[in-house]
Amino acid sequence: MKNFLYFVLFMVIALVAIVIGVIIGDYASWYFAWIVGTAMIVLVSAASGAFFDAQEEDRRNGGTHQGRH
Amino acid sequence: MIDTLVVDLSRWQFAATALYHFLFVPLTLGISFMIAAMETVYVTTGKTIYRDMTQFWGKLFLINFALGVATGLTMEFEFGTNWSFYSSFVGDIFGAPLAIEGLMAFFMESTFIGMMIFGWKRLSKGQHLLVTYLVAIGSNLSALWILVANGFMQDPQGAAFNPVTMRMELTDFGALIFSHDAQAKFVHTSIAGYVTAAVFVAGVSAWYMLRNRHLEIARRSFRMAALFGVLSTAGVITLGDALGFVGAHAQPTKLAAMEAMWQTEEAPAPFNIVAWPSQNEQRNVWSIQVPYVLTPLLTHTLTKVVPGVDQLEASAVERIKNGIPAVEALKALSKNPNDAAAMAQFRAHEKDLGYGFLVTRYAPDQDVSKATEADIARAAKDTIPQVSAIFWTFRIMVGLGLLMLAYFVYAAMLTISGKLEAPQNRWFLKLAPWMIPVPFIACEMGWLVAEIGRQPWTVFGVLPTWMSASSHSVGYMIFSLVGFVSLYSIFIAVEMYLMVKAIKQGPEEHGTPSTPASHKPQPSFGGGFAPNPAAPMSAHKE
Repeated sequence: MKNFLYFVLFMVIALVAIVIGVIIGDYASWYFAWIVGTAMIVLVSAASGAFFDAQEEDRRNGGTHQGRH
Repeated sequence: MIDTLVVDLSRWQFAATALYHFLFVPLTLGISFMIAAMETVYVTTGKTIYRDMTQFWGKLFLINFALGVATGLTMEFEFGTNWSFYSSFVGDIFGAPLAIEGLMAFFMESTFIGMMIFGWKRLSKGQHLLVTYLVAIGSNLSALWILVANGFMQDPQGAAFNPVTMRMELTDFGALIFSHDAQAKFVHTSIAGYVTAAVFVAGVSAWYMLRNRHLEIARRSFRMAALFGVLSTAGVITLGDALGFVGAHAQPTKLAAMEAMWQTEEAPAPFNIVAWPSQNEQRNVWSIQVPYVLTPLLTHTLTKVVPGVDQLEASAVERIKNGIPAVEALKALSKNPNDAAAMAQFRAHEKDLGYGFLVTRYAPDQDVSKATEADIARAAKDTIPQVSAIFWTFRIMVGLGLLMLAYFVYAAMLTISGKLEAPQNRWFLKLAPWMIPVPFIACEMGWLVAEIGRQPWTVFGVLPTWMSASSHSVGYMIFSLVGFVSLYSIFIAVEMYLMVKAIKQGPEEHGTPSTPASHKPQPSFGGGFAPNPAAPMSAHKE
């Protein structure tokens, strides 16, 4: 039941976001571009942080692996 | 009539305070979202190092924010003290976004900033992250309302002049906030702030790397700044083009000045890379041109003609002649608001009322009915802003924007490939702190293009600058100008001192692998990574 409610909640949020997107896209294309662009810049930047750690861990493991041979 | 020196001093004072204030604003706009990105990684991965990063950059954000608020406060009062006729004339429209900005800045931002700084132990991770995002959104929405107000000055939408009350009145709030100029200006300015923050974070991080201090935080911060910077710089250049495209419709005189285009030329017109414009002779003494480039750059077509200064000045003459009956009708209505003939005359010519005002200063006894052809020609010449100033500030802004794009693309390549700290790239780490002033200069140049380019208007096409000022004495204006410059210089010195102190102190690290004393800078990090056996990756986990 809890999962179902979460599903409904996220569907409602998605629907509202789409409606807002359509309205803002029509009347305020640059504001819409700012919302989408800022979200993308923040998420790519955050992903790059996580990617840094994964890359570093990978290199650590690679270094250990090479050292064994 | 107000002394022209008082008008000039009022302009200098506002320009000085705005330029000082605008040194703080872009960093606030951008670093708030960078902090949100860092905290997002903290919440999603649970690694303590990202909380340390968030707290450290948050401290620098707070210093900058506090001084930004202090310098911004006085500016809002300046509208009333130094620009009283302007405030009276367009206060109904200008006041609404400023009031909303005040509410947002002081209630939303300040409340959430308090929760962000003091809420680490009182809020859950998710709640704190939400607060951090609200601080970032609040800061940017605060800028939005200021830029909506400025957008009205650049392209007055959603308002009409009421000849009975003798004021501009708001007719459509939606048109005001959704005006193309307000929108394009907001997105361009806020994303310029993101670029500023990215250059700042990258520069400070590189400084730590050069000194082998706080390496774990510095490397992660640099990586995030580089990616944040690549996208932001691409965005600011694209949106700058959009702003130019929008501005071309609203203010063709500014566009002609930006491109030092004195004569209207057949499409596709050539683009002046560099030029030496002469305002008196209305020509470029010399220039280096690229053929066919200007038209597609400005109009996104090959055939649309871009009007030059000659055509715009001729058009201004016609508009001034059409505006003179509107000013005469207004004078009659001020004596008798029920004068139907005067009202009809006003309605027939009201779209050029501002142009009619322009000639008032040159007409004998300020009576527009006595204006001669020579007076009208002088007033028309005034509609062309200072071409040299706009041409060069625009080019400096664009040049620095392209420089930052190249810088971030290279920074991202180095950090992703893991070669950032390799000895052959040490020059790049040394360059990064020197890049910190670049976006600040670019932002200031952009502001100068926008504001000098709007002259001779405070509200474009509606209210001339010379009519807008308060009637202070020259002595008072000099005294207050010196006072403001001194006070704001102290603010800048305080900002620099606190920032440098906080940066030298560095971040507090909890669970971050410390650099042992024996751990000297690596000659090569074998792909940008310095193995530290004392600090396994699990050490970052809470």
